[in-house]
Amino acid sequence: MKTIKGKQLLQGEWGLLLILVVLCLVFSFLSATFSSLSNLLNITRQVSIVLIISIGMLCVVLCGEIDLSVGSTAALVGVGCAVTLKATGSLPLALLVTLVLSLAAGTVNGALTVFGKIPSFIVTLASMWIIRGIALVWTSGRAVSGLPKGFAFLGAGHIGIIPVSTILCLLLILIAFFILHQTRHGVYFRAIGSNLEASKLSAIPIKKYKMIAFIIAGLMSGIGGLITTSKLLSAQAIANEGMEMDVLAAVILGGASLSGGIGTVIGTVLGALIIGVINNGMNQLGISAFYQQIVKGSIIIIAVLVRRNKDK
Amino acid sequence: MAEVLRLSNIGKVFGGIEALKNIDFDLREGEIHALLGENGAGKSTLVKILTGVHQADSGEIYLYGKKVKIANPIEARKKGIGVIYQELSLINSITVGENIFLGNEPVSPVFGKYDRKRMYERSTEYLNQFGIDIDPKELVSNLRMGQKRILEIVKALALNAKILLLDEPTTGMSNKEIDTLFDIMDSLRQKKVTMIYISHYLDEVFRVCDRATVFRNGRNITTFDVGKTNTDEIVMAMIGKDVKQNRTVPVRNLSGKETALEVKDFRTSIMKSPVSFSVKKSEILGITGIIGAGKSELAHSIFGAAGPHKGTIKIFGKELDMHSPIEAKKYGLAFIPEDRKTEGLFLNDSISDNIIRANIRMIEGKNHLLKNKLKTKITVDIGNKLEIHPLEPGMSVRNLSGGNQQKVVIAKWLVGNPSVLLMDEPTRGIDIGAKAEIYAHIRAMSIQGKTTVIMSSEYEELLNECDRILVLRSGKIVGELDPSKTSKSELLALSLGGKHK
Repeated sequence: MKTIKGKQLLQGEWGLLLILVVLCLVFSFLSATFSSLSNLLNITRQVSIVLIISIGMLCVVLCGEIDLSVGSTAALVGVGCAVTLKATGSLPLALLVTLVLSLAAGTVNGALTVFGKIPSFIVTLASMWIIRGIALVWTSGRAVSGLPKGFAFLGAGHIGIIPVSTILCLLLILIAFFILHQTRHGVYFRAIGSNLEASKLSAIPIKKYKMIAFIIAGLMSGIGGLITTSKLLSAQAIANEGMEMDVLAAVILGGASLSGGIGTVIGTVLGALIIGVINNGMNQLGISAFYQQIVKGSIIIIAVLVRRNKDK
Repeated sequence: MAEVLRLSNIGKVFGGIEALKNIDFDLREGEIHALLGENGAGKSTLVKILTGVHQADSGEIYLYGKKVKIANPIEARKKGIGVIYQELSLINSITVGENIFLGNEPVSPVFGKYDRKRMYERSTEYLNQFGIDIDPKELVSNLRMGQKRILEIVKALALNAKILLLDEPTTGMSNKEIDTLFDIMDSLRQKKVTMIYISHYLDEVFRVCDRATVFRNGRNITTFDVGKTNTDEIVMAMIGKDVKQNRTVPVRNLSGKETALEVKDFRTSIMKSPVSFSVKKSEILGITGIIGAGKSELAHSIFGAAGPHKGTIKIFGKELDMHSPIEAKKYGLAFIPEDRKTEGLFLNDSISDNIIRANIRMIEGKNHLLKNKLKTKITVDIGNKLEIHPLEPGMSVRNLSGGNQQKVVIAKWLVGNPSVLLMDEPTRGIDIGAKAEIYAHIRAMSIQGKTTVIMSSEYEELLNECDRILVLRSGKIVGELDPSKTSKSELLALSLGGKHK
């Protein structure tokens, strides 16, 4: 008996889809260029970085934790990748550095939270600055540019007409959907965030899963940083600044609860797309970036208010 | 019947206090065995030892005749001991089926994929087995309290529990849900599942249990065959020697006095049923009942802290149009809550700040600045009356003893000169000397014409201090007693309910 009332339907993922569709219709009505295929594909490319990092954030948030260092990690990884690539010209080596740096960031965040027993908000607030600081020191604050043209394939290339980063993003979404919704691991993430004590009594390895969540977040941030660097063919220590807020916005808009236990991959994808469409649409209409911030903030408040009625 | 579990000479010490001593106890296959006893008698400690939360300091546990050690809750579960705790251990954000199989998921061979189809099929089987109408795909957060508790049982059974410990399982359940629960327990009994049933309600014990073991002061006193005993026998075993009142002051007949507080058909959303009672001017009324009977709920409701109400409250004949504690205070009501640390005090603040907090306007000058000298004077005056010690107005309340903290809570409300005081467990957890001082003060206030309603589960203090005692059970007033003509056993029997001869 899975009869959902109309109102509930609007508050779930269908509601997000509806918002997305309405936004698209409004923008295509107001702007001639918005609904062109190339612009729509462009949106998917634009959101792919936020979206990939959001998936990592979702894992952390499901466990009842938070990771504020995702933007900094993306920047550090980008810098590490670019510096290695420029110095050695070896792509495999650059990718290895990317991997090591992202895993290291996630592991340190996770270990301090899980074993150091410091609230993750504090851990990652601090590591947000530390990681960014390392990147700044490493580059002396200068951009690392002049990377080989071929490296742009990941961030700016296309397969057919579809951007490579969109394809990569889709692939990661599918994997995340499979793990978080089709395996017991997803149930464990939710259980830990929802009721820690009951999870312990159900013999769920809490520490392991929290560590894994932070490591996934680090890894996803690293991939985000890699795409950013590839897209621009240069890396900067100040890249992706404030990214953690866009990512959190996508996750929250997608229906995840910051107190843990609640959240879906589809919701997160829709949340990120809604933010992407608003950004792109308003750019198409030539609306000032100042107003865009107000609109983004308002939409988040409204979305959370609507959700709260459901929980009541 | 075969013996499933036997405890031999179990003892447990917490910080020098013997929580359990020389416990010998056995469980027979397929029986429902009640554990009875007042709070602190040792029931919960025993349950925690059986579930591996605590380890016994001495004695042995035999499971099916074999000596075992239960090191932690997971091991207890592996040994077939399942617990349904009072605080639910379900996870709200996942489905019924996912909860049943949490930590025990059916996995298909491909990529370790979670076999949802099989999980939901098996969940449905389990639920159907007990005739429970819950959709396994429903989120647990959408279930009612009673359904959740039944789901806990199903979850324990899915883990092949052979012994189920049910700790106050009927708390928060409707009558219909209790019926369902008892039907399920009955069918489990036929399937040779053995159950330990902890409840404060004797009528439930008589309805569903086979045997009952009474605990008192950390020892098990007797085991009864439920079919061959009665309420009086069980109550006497629970309290040991009966206590009659031992008063230093006579019970007063105040029926000629004017009515101070009248509560009529009064109910709020947190109360189980409407109540009516009245209190005379300068009367000390005791209201008792076991945990869950609704004492605190009643006190909070009268004070307006539980939202809108039905029915009426009158103070000296004037009907209160009351929506919140702010209005209750204006009408001369004061409420001293049960948990002084969370509801009564600001622990980090000073004695004087705590005392003045509810009446800050008293020290507010015309220029809106606070008069700190007046604050100190008020604190010293009331502190002397209540014998708060040490009486240093600037000292943080955190550093006071429990009894003195409680006096600060009382002082806080006396400063406002209320006409009717509601006190919820006014002497819980404080020493005998402070208790006596608080009661002396309540009596002194009574002589000055103040009216007091005391919610308490300490029968001795009710018998010794009150002019009249009301007994609450499941939210209803089930008795009105004259303290000079009753006894502890009568109060307890009334509180526990169900006279069985």
